[in-house]
Amino acid sequence: MRILGISAHYHDSAAALVIEGVPVAAVQEERLSRRKNDAAFPVASIEWCLEEAGIEPADLDAVVFYEKPMLKFERILTMALREWPHTFPNFPYAMKSSLGGKLWVKGIIRSWLGVPAERILFSEHHLSHAATAFLTAPTQEAAILTADGVGEWATLTVGRGRRGEGRPTEIETLREVRFPHSLGMLYSTFTAFLGFAVNEGEYKVMGLAAYGEPRFADDVRKIVRRTTDGAFRLDMSFFEYHRGAKTSYSQRFVDTFGAPRAPWEPLDPAVGDGRRYADIAASVQLVLEEILVDIARALRAETGLPDLCLGGGVALNGVCNARILRESGFERVFVPSAPGDAGCALGAALLADRVHFGNPDRMVPIHPYWGPRIDTAELARVAREDGLDLCELPSDEALFDRVASELHAGKIVGWMDGRSEFGPRALGNRSILGAPHTAEQRDRLNRSIKFREDFRPFAPAVPFEHASTYFDLPPGGAVMAQNMSGVFRVKDEHRGKLAAVTHVDGTARLQAVSADVAPRFHALLEAYGRVSGVPVLLNTSLNLAGEPIVNRAIEGYSTFRRSGIDHLVAGRTVVSKRRAPRTGEIGAREDAEQAAQ
Amino acid sequence: MEGSRDNPVDVPRGGMDAWLKPIHRWVWRDPLRRAYKLLAFAETEADGGRDLARAAEMTPDANLRRLYIRHAMDEQRHAEMFRRRGRTMLSTLRRRQAVANANWLSPGERSIDGVVVEKDNDEALLAFLHLSERAAAARFAIYRDVLGHDPDTRAVFTRILRDEVFHMSYSRQELERIAPRRHGLRLWAARLHRIWKAYLRVATAIAGVIGTCVLAIQYFVLLPWFALLAKRAARRLRGDPHRDAPGWTVRGSRVRALRTQY
Repeated sequence: MRILGISAHYHDSAAALVIEGVPVAAVQEERLSRRKNDAAFPVASIEWCLEEAGIEPADLDAVVFYEKPMLKFERILTMALREWPHTFPNFPYAMKSSLGGKLWVKGIIRSWLGVPAERILFSEHHLSHAATAFLTAPTQEAAILTADGVGEWATLTVGRGRRGEGRPTEIETLREVRFPHSLGMLYSTFTAFLGFAVNEGEYKVMGLAAYGEPRFADDVRKIVRRTTDGAFRLDMSFFEYHRGAKTSYSQRFVDTFGAPRAPWEPLDPAVGDGRRYADIAASVQLVLEEILVDIARALRAETGLPDLCLGGGVALNGVCNARILRESGFERVFVPSAPGDAGCALGAALLADRVHFGNPDRMVPIHPYWGPRIDTAELARVAREDGLDLCELPSDEALFDRVASELHAGKIVGWMDGRSEFGPRALGNRSILGAPHTAEQRDRLNRSIKFREDFRPFAPAVPFEHASTYFDLPPGGAVMAQNMSGVFRVKDEHRGKLAAVTHVDGTARLQAVSADVAPRFHALLEAYGRVSGVPVLLNTSLNLAGEPIVNRAIEGYSTFRRSGIDHLVAGRTVVSKRRAPRTGEIGAREDAEQAAQ
Repeated sequence: MEGSRDNPVDVPRGGMDAWLKPIHRWVWRDPLRRAYKLLAFAETEADGGRDLARAAEMTPDANLRRLYIRHAMDEQRHAEMFRRRGRTMLSTLRRRQAVANANWLSPGERSIDGVVVEKDNDEALLAFLHLSERAAAARFAIYRDVLGHDPDTRAVFTRILRDEVFHMSYSRQELERIAPRRHGLRLWAARLHRIWKAYLRVATAIAGVIGTCVLAIQYFVLLPWFALLAKRAARRLRGDPHRDAPGWTVRGSRVRALRTQY
């Protein structure tokens, strides 16, 4: 069967194609449209997925949307009525947004793809998250925990999944917490309060938390109270988001935590208000961890299962994931490469295949590389046209040795290889790489390449088999780290050699790279280990501030030209900024400016 | 050639904007408004830089690619200059309460929002860029003139103005190079396109206001009765341990049918 999954309209829209039970293509719309967090109906992604498989829309057996739009509208309308008249400021916007498009998903899909109405299906938002987490994990039976801002009504669900040869696939939701009580919205509210963009800046809060002391934890616990049945409930007098107001927090929230940070305000966590912001971040992070660990522990006791699958945007919180692994009693915790809404496109398609159509279970390859391939010839062509140093290495080994020695010499390398990752993280196919040894390297990357805040850490990549040499990993930690989903401590004796990737609290969000999942990236790490003695590289996404991760070679090239990256690699092609002097006004001026830099 | 980065020529006259100088002077007088305007300009410049980077990625012309990339880097640098100056000003001000930016009176650069980079060709883009940069240069020259009381901000505009003149110049030159016989036509088409986009902006805003009015009437006339029912239902549900009770809501184990949107 050929099943297309779609997520769209809120943030991070995406499409995924499953053929005969196995994913063949999945990509976020932002990678193709080049608009960060693009929420538009993913026309380009759908076109690319179909093209990749060589099929037409008419060949599709089903198109599955990742949530139920009418159920979601019911929640929006119900909240507008329950909170009347406080919901007035947002009511016209919410209605125009829903009635103007979001509600008519079936019609939109039919008009774009021309598929018959009976082939269009709708999953539930959190069920799509659960399917993404469970059906892509290498396990046959597992407990499932999903948490995000909100889907239709659910904001957090617990359940279990079973699958395997000769038996039907089952995903069962046991219980759910409903809107407006939401851990995702709690974290997003603090994200907004700390001056970061919601649905984008949550990982900055997590990074900032390491600088603070959780001295506001009791205040946060007053806002989010545990209920006797083991769940939680928010005190809504601290919030405004359920009313759709301009700010998601109330005056009472401000009275408790002090003045919010303005987005333009510089943030130095060591002094003054910066210290307070870091303490607030540490407090909400701590409380989030406490609640989720507790819920996971209860789920472990209830199901008796050794494996846990985590889904939803909250599962991007690597500090929390690692604590769940350490403290909940689960032996293995799986987090997909795209646990957020984009990943729901894949989950919805897999769910329809296994549960709705009852097709037999198939193991899904555990790699995240479902996106478009890099075209090395494109890079060679533009570099040649622009007169840059261009080198085609004769073998992979020569390439790895050359790149490893450049990295060891302190150069920054843009690394593009194979198919792009599905999910928000660069896992070695669209990455900026650097030596991990010095804090100066980190500062250079933050200031002249990524143009981002100084307090944000960089992630290390390490061969799977060496991960426990350099990092304190609990059992199952390396598995969790395959998709960069957990934050673990750097071993004391190695911190001096890994200063650029060690966060202020001595931790790192590492990627454990296995040779069977990413053989070329693994080989590069090994080559770097031979040159430097430490097979660890700094790995950050190949993009500039405010832009999506690059997809095509030309986008990597544009990023390379506009930043301080020294070398750009695609396949065996290496492009360098060193260049023969050129004639002509523009060329001469560019040369002069580059020399001045 | 009208000028280059190193040898800027006279900035074009601002037309209507020049007549509005007293208003611009008023808009730029308040330091808080000035700071917020600079931060808003920074965002516009950064967006423009991203659009130009995209244009560089899309063009088949190597010369244009280099120019677009340079232009994108300029816009990024301008964004940083505006941002830094805005932040510096705000850090020295006690009053932080936001004021109206009055951007409709005193706008920044319009970027290339009128052109879909992926769909339009280089001729359309260059024509639009030329007009856009020309308008921005004229406007920034006025802002520079009315900022005599704030030499630091004035210096930012003076520096950026030199780049704007260069952008204006290269876009015209390149348009003449790639469309030697049609460049005049292209510029007129771009002017009409800008007018059309302005009309669409106004029309969309009016439609938005009408829609908001209609929905507001419904909200206060129709909804109260349903709101009453919804509030009563919510109170009733709070007593039911299985529905909307504190904490967990117990779900049936069955998956909702995928055929329905409910």
